[in-house]
Amino acid sequence: MPAKSKSKEEIENLQETLKDIKTKEGIIGYILRSPNSASIDLKDPTKIIDHAILSATALEAGQDISKTFEIGKVDAIILEGGNLKVLSMTIGDNRLSIFMEKNVDHDKLCEDLDLR
Amino acid sequence: MSKNAYAAALKDTLTEIKKVCPDVSCSFIFTKDGMIVAGDSETAEGTIEKTVHSFQSIVEKEDMIGGLKALIIDGENGKVHISCINDMYLALAASKNADATFLKAITHVIVPTILKLLESITPTPLQFAPSKQLIVDTLSGLFVGDSVQIDLEVLKQWSELLNRKSVGEVEIEAFSGKTTKCSAKEINDPKLNGKGIIRIPERICKILEVKKGELVRVKPKET
Repeated sequence: MPAKSKSKEEIENLQETLKDIKTKEGIIGYILRSPNSASIDLKDPTKIIDHAILSATALEAGQDISKTFEIGKVDAIILEGGNLKVLSMTIGDNRLSIFMEKNVDHDKLCEDLDLR
Repeated sequence: MSKNAYAAALKDTLTEIKKVCPDVSCSFIFTKDGMIVAGDSETAEGTIEKTVHSFQSIVEKEDMIGGLKALIIDGENGKVHISCINDMYLALAASKNADATFLKAITHVIVPTILKLLESITPTPLQFAPSKQLIVDTLSGLFVGDSVQIDLEVLKQWSELLNRKSVGEVEIEAFSGKTTKCSAKEINDPKLNGKGIIRIPERICKILEVKKGELVRVKPKET
């Protein structure tokens, strides 16, 4: 299969998984950015910009800290706040952030995304 | 207990934790505003500064998530945990297979207990003077001297917080990591007061490699 089709298929699979994840209790939404497009599904659309900024900042800081400590390719970045939690990761060329309430088990989400 | 003794006690604690758990490669504690409180004896200062700098970019946006409690970075060859403990942050870098229960014990039990213990034997609450991010304004001319100029309000806040008569010397850090120490005076142009600026002589700007309009981190020099 050509690489482009494979990548398209991967994104479609990922989007299907994200749709399932979105229905789970405590999931606030997600932002998936690929090089040419972005899929955003958030419960509160007024917070899209805030969430997008937070997602980009977490991914960038995570990459920087990973380089500082030489821990290799980043599998996942988990940001825990007083109210909510963000799970961010890079999958191929795609950057994904899932926003959830703080009591959600993010390890289970990583399993659902086939990352563990 | 002085601030230095407090930091030394924490440094010893972190060094001992590292000895007990060889999976922990690096550990240090810093405040929310980026001041480094203590680090284990083997961790390079540059590593700590870079981490704190990266972490600060998230702290600036913590309101969106109701305050930043923890940041976990899971890498291919290791992990980094930064956890909030008593208004400070403990950073731990560990190997991929480090015992999660032990790491949790360090962040949730051992270090908080040590901090509580240190605070209980400290007669007054410890105050770490907060660093301020100020905008650079250059001072040029033959008679500018070697002192930087800062808002009187900022100098007053620091002296009150540190219980000193006045703050006459400051440490300045550029975002490139260049640092210098110099004497500080209040801004002599009333129009520039309250604008969050620091007036720095050109010679010092060259040392710090900063230009007018850039941000620097400034804190009172430790005694």
